[in-house]
Amino acid sequence: MSTIQDFSGYNPTWCPGCGDWGIGIAIKTALVQLGFDPSTLIAIFGIGCSGNMNDFLNTYAVHSLHGRALPNAIGAKLANHKMPVIAIVGDGDCYGEGGNHFLHACRGNHDITVIVHDNGVYGLTTGQVAPTAQKGFKSKSTPAGIIETPINPLTLALTQGATFVGQTFAGNVNNVIELIKEGIKHKGFSLVNVLQPCVTFNKINTYQYYMQHSYKLPVEYKKDNLEAAVQRGMEMTTAEKFPLGILYQVERPTFTDQLSQLQQSTLLKRLKFTDFVKLYNEFI
Amino acid sequence: MRFTWKIGGEAGFGILTSGLVFSKIANRLGYFTFDYIEYPSLIRGGHNALEVVVSDEEVRSLKKDIDFLVCLNEDTYKHHKHKLAQKAHILFDPDEFTIQEENVLKISVPFKKILTDLKGIPVMKNTIAMGASLAILGSDLEVLNKILEEQFLRKGQEIVDFNKKLAYLGFDHVKQNFSQHVKTHLNKKESEPKLVISGNDAFCLGASIAECRFYSAYPMTPSSTVLTTMAAWQFKSGMVVRHAEDEISVINTALGASFAGVRSAVGTSGGGFALMVESISFAGIAEMPIVIFLAQRVGPATGMPTWTEQGDLLFAVNAGHGEFPKMVFAPGDVEEMLELTAKAFNIADVYQTPVIIMSDMYLSESHKSMTKKFVDDFTANYKVNRGKTITAVVSDQSSVVSKYLRYKLTDDGISPRLIPGVKGHFYQANSYEHVEDGHTSEDGVVRKQQVEKRAKKWDTYLQSDFQPPVIFGNLESSQTVFVSWGSNKGPILEAQKLLKQSGKETAFMHFTHLYPMKRDVVAGLFKDTSKRYILIENNSQAQFGKLLLMETGIEIKEKLLKYDGRPFLPEEIVEKLT
Repeated sequence: MSTIQDFSGYNPTWCPGCGDWGIGIAIKTALVQLGFDPSTLIAIFGIGCSGNMNDFLNTYAVHSLHGRALPNAIGAKLANHKMPVIAIVGDGDCYGEGGNHFLHACRGNHDITVIVHDNGVYGLTTGQVAPTAQKGFKSKSTPAGIIETPINPLTLALTQGATFVGQTFAGNVNNVIELIKEGIKHKGFSLVNVLQPCVTFNKINTYQYYMQHSYKLPVEYKKDNLEAAVQRGMEMTTAEKFPLGILYQVERPTFTDQLSQLQQSTLLKRLKFTDFVKLYNEFI
Repeated sequence: MRFTWKIGGEAGFGILTSGLVFSKIANRLGYFTFDYIEYPSLIRGGHNALEVVVSDEEVRSLKKDIDFLVCLNEDTYKHHKHKLAQKAHILFDPDEFTIQEENVLKISVPFKKILTDLKGIPVMKNTIAMGASLAILGSDLEVLNKILEEQFLRKGQEIVDFNKKLAYLGFDHVKQNFSQHVKTHLNKKESEPKLVISGNDAFCLGASIAECRFYSAYPMTPSSTVLTTMAAWQFKSGMVVRHAEDEISVINTALGASFAGVRSAVGTSGGGFALMVESISFAGIAEMPIVIFLAQRVGPATGMPTWTEQGDLLFAVNAGHGEFPKMVFAPGDVEEMLELTAKAFNIADVYQTPVIIMSDMYLSESHKSMTKKFVDDFTANYKVNRGKTITAVVSDQSSVVSKYLRYKLTDDGISPRLIPGVKGHFYQANSYEHVEDGHTSEDGVVRKQQVEKRAKKWDTYLQSDFQPPVIFGNLESSQTVFVSWGSNKGPILEAQKLLKQSGKETAFMHFTHLYPMKRDVVAGLFKDTSKRYILIENNSQAQFGKLLLMETGIEIKEKLLKYDGRPFLPEEIVEKLT
C-alpha cells in the first residue's frame, strides 16, 4: 500500500491560497486510495502553473509542451494500454493552445483522464485571459475586457463524444478526490474540470464566487442522459451556474478496445513481427 | 535495350494503376524498370501521365525521350509530343483525335469502339491499352492475365474474364494490323524475382523490419502513401497507426508512444513538418527517440504539391529551437531508403534523439526494381539496436539499488533510458532543463552539464555511426567530380554511364549522412583543388553546398541547380560537361 509521501516530490511553488494546492493533494490522495504506486501509472503534464506539478508528483511522467499533453497521453496509452494514463493540464493549455487535440481526444474515447485546472487566466505568464475567462474580463492582454465569450468545456466535451464529463471545485478537496477517482476508474475518455481560483490574477472567480455560483447535481440526477447533461452544462454559459459532480457517464468501447492488434497484448509487449514476405509480396 | 513507355489520360481514370501493372509485367518478364508519375493536385479533370523506363539492366532514372506513347486522350499527345523519340510508337484512338505528324508510327486502336461494343466503363480503356502495348512490344498476355486475376478475383470470375477479354481485343487488334511495327522488347527471360517498389514503400518496409510499432501521420502529398500503406499493413504487422487531427498531434502522439517504450515514427511533407518543429526540439531535450520521414515537395507554403524539389534541407537541419543533437539522412534510391530507414531507428534509439529521413516526391513516388534477394539479405542481417534502453535498473554497487537517473551524466552523453512501468522506479521526461533525475532546474551549473551531455551525443555519433559519402567512379583519377545528395543519385549515375560511353571518366560523391558531418573525413575528400567539383541540387539556393561549407569549410563554386519542380534528367547533367 502506497502513501501520500510516496507520491510527493519537491515542495510545491504555487502561490499561498492557490487552488492548485487542493488539486495537488486531491490527485495524490486519489492515487493512494485507488491502490496505485508511483511505478504503476503515467502522468503527462502540460505547461503552466498546473503543469508545474511535474516536480511535485512522483510517477512516470512527461512534462510536455504547452498544449500538447493530450496527444502525448494518447500515444502513451496506445503503446501500453494496460497502464493508467492521466493528463494534468490547465485551461489555456488544454482549451486554448491544445483545443484541437481536446476535441479529437474526446471523439476517440481514448482511455485517459484529463484533469483541467480551470482558473480563467494564464497564471504563469502573469495573468492574461484564458479561453474560459468570462466575457468582459479585464487582463493585461485584454485591457478593455475580453471580447470573446468563454469556452464551455463541459458542453464541448459532451458534444464531441467524451464518455465521462465531470466538474468539481478546488475549494472542496473531498469532492475533487472523489471525482478524480471516478474519472480514472472510468474506461474511456474522462474530463475532470476543476474550477480553481487564482488568488493572484483572478479577482472575479474567487472561492467566494464559486461558493455562490456552483451547486451539486441533485442525488436523483441521471448521468447517462446526454441531452440533460448538455442542458446542465449550458447553465454555465446562460445562467452563470456551475454544476458540480458527474454530468455524464456512459460505457462505450475505447479506442484501444477497437484495435484488433491490441487484443492479445499491449503494443509494447507483443511478439516481434517477422513475416516480411507477407508485406512485400504485393510489390512483386 | 532501353526504352520509355508512357501512358497518359484524364486524372481519375486509373493511369497510376496501369503504370504499376506495366512495371510489374516487365519485372516478371525479367526486366528492370524505373517509373515516374506526373499529375496535378486534382482528383478529376486534370492530366495524368506515367512513364516507365524498361531495360535489361538496372534502371536508375528517366531518359529524355519517349519511345512508346499510349494516349488515352488527345491531351496526352499534345502534352508529350515534343518529347517523342524518332519513330516513336503512338497508340491512340482515331475516333478521338488524329495525328498530323509524319515521323511517328501511328498505331491506331479503337479503344472507344471496343468499350462501347462490350459495354465497358471508361477506366477499362487502360486494360485495352495494356493488351495493345504488350502486342506492340512483342510479348503475350500470360502475365497480364495473371495480374488481372490477382487484381479482380475478389470481384468475381465474371469481372476477371471481362477484363481479360478487353486486354485480348486490344492485343489482337495490334497483332492483326500492325505486325510490321512490333518491337520484340519484352521477350520473357530468366531472372531473379524483383519488387516494384517506391521510396515511400521502401520506408514502410524498412520501418517494419526495424520493428517500428507505432506510426502516425496526417495525409500530405507526397508522403500520404506511407500512411495508407502502414494502415493497410497493420492487421498483418501488428503496428498501431494513428491518423491524427494535425501534424502537431501526429508527432506528439508518436513521442508519447516513444516515451512508453515502442519504436515510433511520423511522416509528412514540408508544411506538416513545419508544424512538428517545436516538438522536435522537445524530443531533443527530453531525449525521446523518434524517426521523422520528410518527403519534400515544391514549396514555399502550398507550392506545387505534386511536384519534386529538395528545398527543405536547411530547414530540416535547423529544425527546432535551442541546441540539441539530431541526425539527418537522405537516401538516394529505394535500396538506400530501406537501409537508412532501418538504421535511423537504431540511431534514434542509441542517441535518444530525433532522426530525420529526407525524401522528395521523385524518390517517394517513383517505383524502381529492387531484387527480392536484396530485401531478404538485408532482413537477415539487420539487428535491432536499442542502445541504452533498459527494462531493469541495475545498481552501481551490486548490493545497493541506487536511484535511477534518467539524465545521468555519462562519457558518451547517452544515459540509460528506462521503459516506464518498472516496479520501484519512476522518472519524468522533461521539456524543461533538468537535473540528472529529471526534475526541473534553472541552476547554471546543471544547465551547462546537461547542454554538454547532450552535445556529446554529436561527437559519439560522428565517431561511431557517421558514414562519409559513397564514391562512384574513381576519385583519384577523375578530373570532374559531381557532389550531390538524395534522389539525384539516379540521374547522376546514369549521366556517368553516358559520359563514360563518350570516353569521359567522372567521379561522384553521394552524401547520405547529411548532418552532422565529420569535418576532417569529408574535407579530406576535397583536398585536390585542381579538380572540377560540380554541385548538383534540385533547389535554387544550393542548400547542400551551404551545409557543406558550414560543416566542413568546403565551398563548391560550380553548381547545377534545377528548380522547375521536375527531377534531373541524365542528359541535362551530361550537357553541363559539354
